[in-house]
Amino acid sequence: MEGFMSIDIFIIILATGVRLATPFLLAALGEMFVQRSGVYNLGVEGIMMMGAFAGFFATLQQGSPLLGIIVSLAIGALMGLIMAFVSVTFKAEQGISGIGLYMFGWGLSGLLFRLYVGGVTSIDGLKPIAIPMLSDIPLIGQVLFNHNVLVYTAFLLVPLSGIILYKTSWGLNVRAVGNKPEAADTLGVSVVKIRYQCLIVGGMLAALAGAFLTIGQANMYADNITAGRGFIAIALVYFGRWSPWGILLGSLLFSMADSFQSMVQVLGINFPYELAVILPYMVTIIALAISYGRVWAPAALGKPYERGTRG
Amino acid sequence: MKKKVLSLILAALTILAFSGCAAKPATETTPQKTDAEKIRIALVLPATVDDMAWGQSMVEGLKAVQKNMGEDKVEVAISEKLGNAVDAGAAIRQYATQGYEIIFAHGSQYQSVLNDIAKDFPKTTFAYGTGFATQPNIFAYDPQAQEGGYLLGILAAKMTKSGVVGIVGPVESGDAVKYNYGVQQGVAKGKADVQTRIAYTGSFNDIVGAGNLAKTQMSAGADIITGSSQQAVGAVRAIGETKGNYWLSTDMDQSSIAPDHVLASQVYHWEKVVNKIIDLRKQGTLGGQHLTLTLADGTIEFKYNEKLADKVPAEVKAAVETAKQEIISGKLKVELPKK
Repeated sequence: MEGFMSIDIFIIILATGVRLATPFLLAALGEMFVQRSGVYNLGVEGIMMMGAFAGFFATLQQGSPLLGIIVSLAIGALMGLIMAFVSVTFKAEQGISGIGLYMFGWGLSGLLFRLYVGGVTSIDGLKPIAIPMLSDIPLIGQVLFNHNVLVYTAFLLVPLSGIILYKTSWGLNVRAVGNKPEAADTLGVSVVKIRYQCLIVGGMLAALAGAFLTIGQANMYADNITAGRGFIAIALVYFGRWSPWGILLGSLLFSMADSFQSMVQVLGINFPYELAVILPYMVTIIALAISYGRVWAPAALGKPYERGTRG
Repeated sequence: MKKKVLSLILAALTILAFSGCAAKPATETTPQKTDAEKIRIALVLPATVDDMAWGQSMVEGLKAVQKNMGEDKVEVAISEKLGNAVDAGAAIRQYATQGYEIIFAHGSQYQSVLNDIAKDFPKTTFAYGTGFATQPNIFAYDPQAQEGGYLLGILAAKMTKSGVVGIVGPVESGDAVKYNYGVQQGVAKGKADVQTRIAYTGSFNDIVGAGNLAKTQMSAGADIITGSSQQAVGAVRAIGETKGNYWLSTDMDQSSIAPDHVLASQVYHWEKVVNKIIDLRKQGTLGGQHLTLTLADGTIEFKYNEKLADKVPAEVKAAVETAKQEIISGKLKVELPKK
């Protein structure tokens, strides 16, 4: 197919990849904080659905995507709080309660949609904002600087999360709580408080990822709109070894592969579509398999903290 | 102990949330107790009753039947979001146990599940589609999606300015394959040098994915786009945000999503199919027939979006109409992919 490797096609693949990476980045960065504090929240997908619905609904009602973002953040915080209540205060088995939260979020978002909207309804979502000057740079401008505000937010959160995690005392506390909660406790760091904070932040970012799908991409809502993206985000936390830059790498790898395979299909290059659609998953799994084991995992991950026992 | 209690609460909440949306959808399940005359019909859907596509078209068909025969003569119960064939199987078995006489499993993925269940309920009529394999008490229904696809293909070829027609497909199977094949042939017939580019998302209900694939199609040059399945609404919406691109819809008229962008539609009218199954059952035929939906018998309709009707030149409309009459008269047979 002539012109396949043309520069235009290349730019489209990269720019699409950046857009596709956004929900993964947001949700995975949130989950990174959660896991760094020693909890894994498998309910990300459910929180995303709630955030997707909340953002969509607020935008539909008030015509303001900005309000949609705020409402989805609030709902995400609430969902994170529920998870914290169950898994930190009541020390429930984290895997099970996470799956419960996922199903709860899925069921509730579908129910609310049916009750208050019902049927396919469009909204006016976020518009791309071309950053002055930067968007005029050849190549990079189109790829990086002509997206909506949530895309910029997601990418800015990468260095920001790095700074918070490695350069602030709160970040130190988070890492301590996730690695040696008993030591942190001895030093007067409240394990419960830190884990609550992380789950709330994680919930907010997951909900934002969901809101990105409705008000930043689809401009509508449908049941199960996340279609598994929340679980991919969790996998990307492992892939990225609990570091923001690793998560950035994983999100981009997955999304670029996805963007690339769509273009391969669209241009009619002779390649079985079944293989094309699993390409992003294959690339990610292979990259995960050839990288190290779980050495980087927070030591107390998945273990509820009981004061007076040894983690 | 605390943990157990809490897990239970959470499980209960989950079940509540689910039963809220799955078991009691927006449908009229008239109370039990049947008189002899009343027909009880159940429908199992992969997506939702209001998906603006495959599922909704069938729901509207059933409602039309109910309206014509009388609410007191037909009872309709619907279960949604059962894309997973195993979960659907549980619902189908339950409907059969409860004495529903005709059970529609609205998807090709339900075929093997139905084969299992139908043996245990020899007096119940089951129907599924898209498909062709039947059993003594299983009907298979089969929209000839390629027929409308062919007409839409001609329209696309004659309307495209870029010379590229894009398809946003779900999974390469059943209805989608037939439809896409019809579109391809129609495009080739409409204008020789127009390309048809087919791509699939690998899912039936990823509306975000369908929207993104539509964007990729447009950025690579397609200006007329089409595609089947319930996720297509995401693609329609993506096209609705652009200028100068058009969507061609199938299963249902999707022009309400993007009134200025949906040029024409292939619409399935399920009412006749449902009526036929009811009649056959009354005559004692519980299944075993392969029922097609075609342009010829009016179960498939080709429809322009009235709002955009003046955008389509008369000679284009004439070409589409000629092909339509040829398909109806049997002079033209739109081919299906050879297995």
